[in-house]
Amino acid sequence: MNAKLSATFAVVFTGAVLLYAVSDFPDFGDPRSPANHGVSGGAPSASVYYIKNAYHDTSVPNLVTAILADYRGYDTLFETVVIFTAGMAIFAILRVLRRDDSGIPAAPDPAIDGDHHRIVVGVTCRIAVPLVQIFALYVVAHGHHSPGGGFQGGVMLGASFILIALSTSLRHALGRLSETSFIRLACLGILIYAGFAFLPLVVGRNFLDYGALRALFGTDGEEMARSHGIFVVEIGIALTVTSVMFAIFANLSSRGRLHGGL
Amino acid sequence: MTMSDHLPVLILLAPLFGAVAVGLFGMREPRVCLPVTLAALGVSLWCAVGILLRIHDEGPLDYFVAGWEKPVGIGIVLRADAINSPFLLVIAVVAIFAALFAVRPTGERESGKTPHFFILFLLLCTGLFGITITGDAFNLFVLVEVSALSSYGLIAIGRTKRCKVAAFHYLIMGTVGASFYLIGVGYLYLKTGSLNMRDIHDILVSNRSLFGSRTVQTAFLFILIGIWTKMAFFPLHGWLANAYSYCPSSSACLLAPLSTKASVYVMIRIMVSVFGLDQVEANAAWGDLVVWLAVIAIAAGSTLALAQREFKKMLCFLIVAEVGYMVGGAWLGDSGRWGLTGSVYHLLADATMTSCLFLAAGTFAKHLGVVRIDDLSGLFSRMPLASSGFVIGALAMIGVPPTGGFFSKFYLIRGAIDAGEWIYIAALLGSSLVNAVLFFRLFEIAFFGKNPVGFHREQGPIEVPSERLEPPFHVLAPLLGAAALVILLGVFNGPIVEFIRTALLDPVTIVSEAR
Repeated sequence: MNAKLSATFAVVFTGAVLLYAVSDFPDFGDPRSPANHGVSGGAPSASVYYIKNAYHDTSVPNLVTAILADYRGYDTLFETVVIFTAGMAIFAILRVLRRDDSGIPAAPDPAIDGDHHRIVVGVTCRIAVPLVQIFALYVVAHGHHSPGGGFQGGVMLGASFILIALSTSLRHALGRLSETSFIRLACLGILIYAGFAFLPLVVGRNFLDYGALRALFGTDGEEMARSHGIFVVEIGIALTVTSVMFAIFANLSSRGRLHGGL
Repeated sequence: MTMSDHLPVLILLAPLFGAVAVGLFGMREPRVCLPVTLAALGVSLWCAVGILLRIHDEGPLDYFVAGWEKPVGIGIVLRADAINSPFLLVIAVVAIFAALFAVRPTGERESGKTPHFFILFLLLCTGLFGITITGDAFNLFVLVEVSALSSYGLIAIGRTKRCKVAAFHYLIMGTVGASFYLIGVGYLYLKTGSLNMRDIHDILVSNRSLFGSRTVQTAFLFILIGIWTKMAFFPLHGWLANAYSYCPSSSACLLAPLSTKASVYVMIRIMVSVFGLDQVEANAAWGDLVVWLAVIAIAAGSTLALAQREFKKMLCFLIVAEVGYMVGGAWLGDSGRWGLTGSVYHLLADATMTSCLFLAAGTFAKHLGVVRIDDLSGLFSRMPLASSGFVIGALAMIGVPPTGGFFSKFYLIRGAIDAGEWIYIAALLGSSLVNAVLFFRLFEIAFFGKNPVGFHREQGPIEVPSERLEPPFHVLAPLLGAAALVILLGVFNGPIVEFIRTALLDPVTIVSEAR
């Protein structure tokens, strides 16, 4: 059968089924819809609970952060693991280790060594990179109060390293953040998140229950300990995201050769 | 609380921390990879045994992550019951076998990617444990992503181009499947406002009109099709054969036995814990349709297996047929739920016998260069022990007592008789016959093959002295272990099935315990 025709048919059919269900949806923005208000017969609505109690439970004004890093912190841990897995899979697939490319001459390769004559670009980026990085750290730290957190800040931080590589050369960027270090950093991010989440087990509380770490943070209430706990795991997320971003870029742009790394 | 209360989360944290440890230390010193992997999986095995014993004594086990217990649904719950706890144990055992087999991964030896291999290996185990133990519909998706991404990596880590192409094909199909599942969960959330499986079930049951809602029906359809894509249910099986036969043997030994089975488990979990068996059984028309699809899958899988000349490809198409067994069995809808019992039991049996067969295929490929079925010639005289492990796996696939394969077919057929699904019985028996033909042909070649030749990838056929070439212990041990497990599962089928049925016959106890 014609491949295009069958693909069109599959897409139209799937879309039609999805649209068929739409007629039955709750109204858009309806405050009494099941997702916003819960349904009789089930447990009290989680959304209503979050809105009423999230600040009280975690003393984090940004509801999204409280849900993401505390109530559903287990999901977020594994979202971070997904990113880590993606980074490791990229290495497994693309990375060419030195023994294999013995035949390649050491001639300059524009993909790796870059073009050193771009003065305007080079200087501009040199000025921009520290600003980007400071703002990235701000985004990581300010997730409690505004949109942001580890994923967003980590992406920016990763982008700043990519900017270094783009404006100078991959070799230069790898000099700042070598292959060994970013693999370690990616692991360290997961270790911070999962290891920190593991600590409450030591005092007999459940996994991820940061409230139990009151004594460690020296806070009066459990909610403040949760707030600090969220900050710690955001740092873990940021480390992993930063290094995986850069790892993917470095592997793709040098076809896995990463000259100058390791 | 003692440490044993945390078993449901420790079981997947062990491989996760193992992956991190390999990443931190294994890159410089690849020799630590295997001990770390085995230690992590050993902890998981210990946890699986602990969970199983606790459920046996005290009933289903709930673990509220971060301590958010009440109200239900604000946090994430991990739940172990009689359906998933035996599967957790099988995952741990099969993963240990695969890790032992992978001591020096064949494809990656020269490129020095051993640490990457073991990181992905452990992440895949983390994902599989997580999928199996979670009680949250969205969390399940997250862990499906972890296991899917690591699977793509484990397939594409091989050095040939075709394994990368196969991984890419799998990536597209897998992503489509996972997206379908996610759309289904999203639609369910629209109508129920909950992601907790138990909560969704309670809401659906106390508002029966929701079952008639278009959104909920579409959600069910999308979840099913998504999972079917992931489990390679015919005609969504296109990705499987190339992915599992072209990837390195050590990856295949982990992926082939567990990945598709985990998806079958997800389907059963959604049927039992989210929509409820009463509701699934009430819609007999859906059940009939799915059983027909399963019959087609069994017939197609067996036929395609007959047509293969490559050993691993043949095994891959047998997996497609086996998936048909389990899907059909789960949807038989007989009043005694023997079909569903058979499916859950077959999860365990099929995982162990597929593990046994892929370990055997991997051993023959690694040590004798066997790719095609004809290459097996004269196998028995050279590897008597490894071949006997292979024979046990093959007999289980055919369904010869006292292996696990026989008893799963027994329960499936019992369910089909009660449900009056004769066509399913015919498909099951037909496929057993095909398996018998396939494997006895292999036995004949392996036993009586006139010309014992080895096959070298570059040099073509080479004469191999017919003396014994038994593989090293770390390869032989998992193979014989898997074979022993296949037999043990069969011998102890009574208590196992009785245990599984405690969860299936009275779903109320697992669904609304601890409420």
